[in-house]
Amino acid sequence: MLEIKNLHVNVEGREILRGLDLILPQGEVHAIMGPNGSGKSTLAYVLAGKEEYEVTAGTVTWKGEDLFAMDPSERAASGVFLAFQYPMEIPGVATMTFLRTAVNAVRKARGETELSTPDFLRFVREKAKLLKIDPEMLKRPLNVGFSGGEKKRNEILQMALLEPALCVLDETDSGLDIDAVRIVAEGVNALRAPDRAMLVITHYQRLLNYIVPDRVHVLSDGRVARSGGPELALELEESGYAEFEAA
Amino acid sequence: MELPVQQFRTKGEQGYLDMFEAAADALPGARESFVSGLRRKAIEAYGRLGLPHRRIEAWKYTDLRSRLTDAYPLLGPTGVALGEAELRKAIGSDFAALPAYRLVVVEGDLRADLSDLSGLKTAGIEVVSLAQALEKPPAWLKKTMGQVNPREDDPVVALNTALMTGGVALRIAEGLTLDKPIHLIQLDGKGEDVSALTRNVVVAEPGSSVMLLESYGSLGMKGLQRNAVTEVVIKDKAAVNHVKLQLEAGDALHLTTWLVKIGAYARYEAFQFSLGAALARNQIYAQFTGEGSQANISGAFLLRDHQHCDTTILVEHLVPHCGTRELLKAVLDEESRGVFQGKIVVARGAQKTDSKQMAQALLLSESAEFDSKPELEIFADDVVCGHGSTSGQIDEDLLFYLEARGIPEPEARALLIQAFVGEALERIEDERLREAFTNASVEWLGAKAG
Repeated sequence: MLEIKNLHVNVEGREILRGLDLILPQGEVHAIMGPNGSGKSTLAYVLAGKEEYEVTAGTVTWKGEDLFAMDPSERAASGVFLAFQYPMEIPGVATMTFLRTAVNAVRKARGETELSTPDFLRFVREKAKLLKIDPEMLKRPLNVGFSGGEKKRNEILQMALLEPALCVLDETDSGLDIDAVRIVAEGVNALRAPDRAMLVITHYQRLLNYIVPDRVHVLSDGRVARSGGPELALELEESGYAEFEAA
Repeated sequence: MELPVQQFRTKGEQGYLDMFEAAADALPGARESFVSGLRRKAIEAYGRLGLPHRRIEAWKYTDLRSRLTDAYPLLGPTGVALGEAELRKAIGSDFAALPAYRLVVVEGDLRADLSDLSGLKTAGIEVVSLAQALEKPPAWLKKTMGQVNPREDDPVVALNTALMTGGVALRIAEGLTLDKPIHLIQLDGKGEDVSALTRNVVVAEPGSSVMLLESYGSLGMKGLQRNAVTEVVIKDKAAVNHVKLQLEAGDALHLTTWLVKIGAYARYEAFQFSLGAALARNQIYAQFTGEGSQANISGAFLLRDHQHCDTTILVEHLVPHCGTRELLKAVLDEESRGVFQGKIVVARGAQKTDSKQMAQALLLSESAEFDSKPELEIFADDVVCGHGSTSGQIDEDLLFYLEARGIPEPEARALLIQAFVGEALERIEDERLREAFTNASVEWLGAKAG
């Protein structure tokens, strides 16, 4: 359902992705691994539609449509979700207000009715409980003063609320201790579904102990250098990225 | 040998002197020596100072002399019929519906038909129409008026003293905590070019607590030149929460000055919100005269078109152990211009003064402009004084984050602007009032989208 063909992307005049090919079928979880600077986060941002990322060649087809013809909010409405490596802090916007605005914007764009306040509160509480999120946290300004773990759990909460068809997790495990990784991973696993594909971007194999992927792709120098099953991640844990480091 | 200097005056400048000469005998209190003495002294001061212009440091960014080319005639009360619908239209239904003791001043006239005078009286508030009080000032007013932080160097205040025609004087009894805010609504400008010069006096006796909301609006669409002064005396252990809403018509000239004196262990909370007027200057002069007191002054203005809004604050710490917090948020679109001047003076001996100032502007267009001038004058050595100023555009990374969650760009922008203003609105304790201001900002944003 997501098909990336010969993707070339420049960031600030530098070519970061250099002919990336990838197919992610419906319902599968693929991991993207690779050394620093191999283009993992660039891939995440370009799928979500960040402006500074200039696509110079290639195509991305999403549900049979050209992904690049959609602006970021349209991509979100069509089911693309990026869990940010560094979630933004917005003082002055209560987390709850933000969640409700997002959920209703997406529902509206999908032709669904907007949720009433009580329905929305029920919906949030139920999802927050699974992620062990204290409802008090949702009254605070968005991500302001949140710990690293709270921010990442908040990302997964947003993912649960927006019910995406494609989840892109950008280094969701970075900066988390092992307990926080486990909570986040449980949250992600609860969202695995036959109509939902996931792209789990990570530098370390650790996260993949909890979120077991169907396929693993190793990026190197802006391309997929190798693909394999879950065992490839374990192999990399042993050998490191030495053979994939850019020359 | 001194040469006689013939002072050049602009037409607007001369206009006020002529206005005073023509009206002096008919102004309220003309036969009362205390009042006429105040007026005479003030017009003399104005004659010396003239209208302020950009070569006067305090008016560097707001050249009043060049903007005020013509002084509009002083208009007395016409007794214009006014109902709830007009009030709602002038200040918005959220503000009109606030539970409060309402005082409505139209063309300087305190309107008994629209005000809750009996409610205030029952609650223990002494309230008099200023026009009446000037004819026969009560002793407490004589001790107060023109003496609360008098600012004789300010020509706008001098003009107000010379030409004031009305307003209200309020005294909150010792130890009294008022259960509802006092909502002072001042409306002018029904279709005529007019100068509205009003003066209010508020005395919060020791240990009292009151919230005063001043709402300013225009009734018509034609020219209004407003010069309003409110003198506030906060006695020991008293608390005054002073809020201003300014929604005047797009061609109005709005000058307001709050003269504040703060006693010991007292509290002053001020918030000003400006959406209207072509040119607005909000002046606050506050003075700490007793130890252990706190002043929190914040505000927000949202401007577009060619609007110009200037907030100028001077806080004088004359005694030790007082604190000041200032926060101003400006949202500037199109060709608008925002000005913040914040000066803190710490007198010799005012040790342990703790002051912080912050002014922030969000520029929504390339041609909007923000000028910020924080100033500190410190004559004591054991103080903490800080100030900061930022001005920038909407953060693209934040915008992308919101868009990536499905919020379309215009809505995401509006949410970020609201968040920016929200940091100032959070300072308002009263929930209904905060909500009314929030709705007013949302409406302002909506007007842009449409």
